[in-house]
Amino acid sequence: MSVPILKLAGVLVASVQAALSDQDLMRLRDEFASQIGRYRSAGIVIDLTALDVLDSYATRMLQSIANAAKLRGANTMVVGIQPEVAFAMVQLGLSLEGVGTALDLEDGLAELGSLTQQRGHRVR
Amino acid sequence: MNDQLQPSASQLLMHDMGLTEAEIERRKRIVGIEPSDLDRIAKIRGFVTSHADEYVSSFFDHLYGLDDARPLLASRSLVDRARHLKQEHLLAMVNGDYGSNYAEQRLELGALYARAGLDTRLFLGAFHQMLLNIGHDVMTEFQRTPADGFECFMALQKIAFFDIGIIVDILVFERERVIRQQQDAIREISTPVLQIRERLLLLPVIGVIDTQRARFITESLLRAVRTNRAKVVVMDVTGVVTIDSKVANHVLQTVAAARLMGATMIVTGLSAEVAQSLVTLGIELSGLNTVGDLQGGLEEAEQLLGYRVLAPGTTPPQVAP
Repeated sequence: MSVPILKLAGVLVASVQAALSDQDLMRLRDEFASQIGRYRSAGIVIDLTALDVLDSYATRMLQSIANAAKLRGANTMVVGIQPEVAFAMVQLGLSLEGVGTALDLEDGLAELGSLTQQRGHRVR
Repeated sequence: MNDQLQPSASQLLMHDMGLTEAEIERRKRIVGIEPSDLDRIAKIRGFVTSHADEYVSSFFDHLYGLDDARPLLASRSLVDRARHLKQEHLLAMVNGDYGSNYAEQRLELGALYARAGLDTRLFLGAFHQMLLNIGHDVMTEFQRTPADGFECFMALQKIAFFDIGIIVDILVFERERVIRQQQDAIREISTPVLQIRERLLLLPVIGVIDTQRARFITESLLRAVRTNRAKVVVMDVTGVVTIDSKVANHVLQTVAAARLMGATMIVTGLSAEVAQSLVTLGIELSGLNTVGDLQGGLEEAEQLLGYRVLAPGTTPPQVAP
């Protein structure tokens, strides 16, 4: 199942609705990398509210999406991780080091807004 | 009939005790019930059935003769119900079908004993008395071929031990139920997660943290983060006497999990002794946002959330928007 990327003001939003295969994740990463340049986005948000499991590969992919986005000048927020998922991830030693996290889409967007404001330009 | 409600309750109990088909088969193997035993039991089925009343009476007569059993025999209705189930039990014992239905009936009887407060010793004594009476009659019946009689009785004995296994288990299980309920209650009350400001939670931890409790604390905290939409959590460990590497690790895990949900954690109240022992043990807690006491932690949290607390009457200082 591929994930659509939505452009919302200066931010790209991807809402993951079902467990993703390795190919889906790679496609998502490539899509993000190219769209960040096309839309000159200041941030991306990946919403995982609907997921009830996240494996180590997916975690690593999220991390590499964030790293790639950073190189293209965009901040990444992963939002909506469920309590059970968070607990399972921590027990597996997966911590999404260096990736921003927020409770839900709303908080994630707000956080991105303040991040970009600090840098001197605004997300409209 | 009031029986209709019973099966669901005893089925639930069976599930709780893990008494599955496979487990029943395993228990049968343990007591050594074989197909040939069923044939032997069939031989004595006739006269045990016809004397069932007598045997059931011997079970209860034995109880009536004991001082210890007096309280539970006081309730007439309970005794009648037990008598009825016991009779059913005896008939089923020689019926040759020992599947999950049979186990469920035993469970129902066992649960009744547990409710009545029948002790394991009392039950075993009375049950033995009943078997003794059956044994006597079997030997009289097989006067000419005592070896056969003995074999038949031993087959019945296997079933009896299978039953005792289940009934003793249920008596113990019911007694432990109270302990389990108390443990749950203690766990519930000992780890409250309190909202003290919009998007700010306080988690006071008191007492000894073991693995199970640490897990419970983490889970309830993460749930609370979600339901209260918390952004900052202050975890106060003033009431925790000792923190070893295991507990420290749990604290770190909780902090990491909360971060994944977008919440920042502040740990407060690490006492001088605890801090020193953590350093001596070489436990790495640098990833932790620690503040000396609860007051400082709350102030820090309020700052993170953009709150400012002012005394009444003071004018707030002007801040550029």
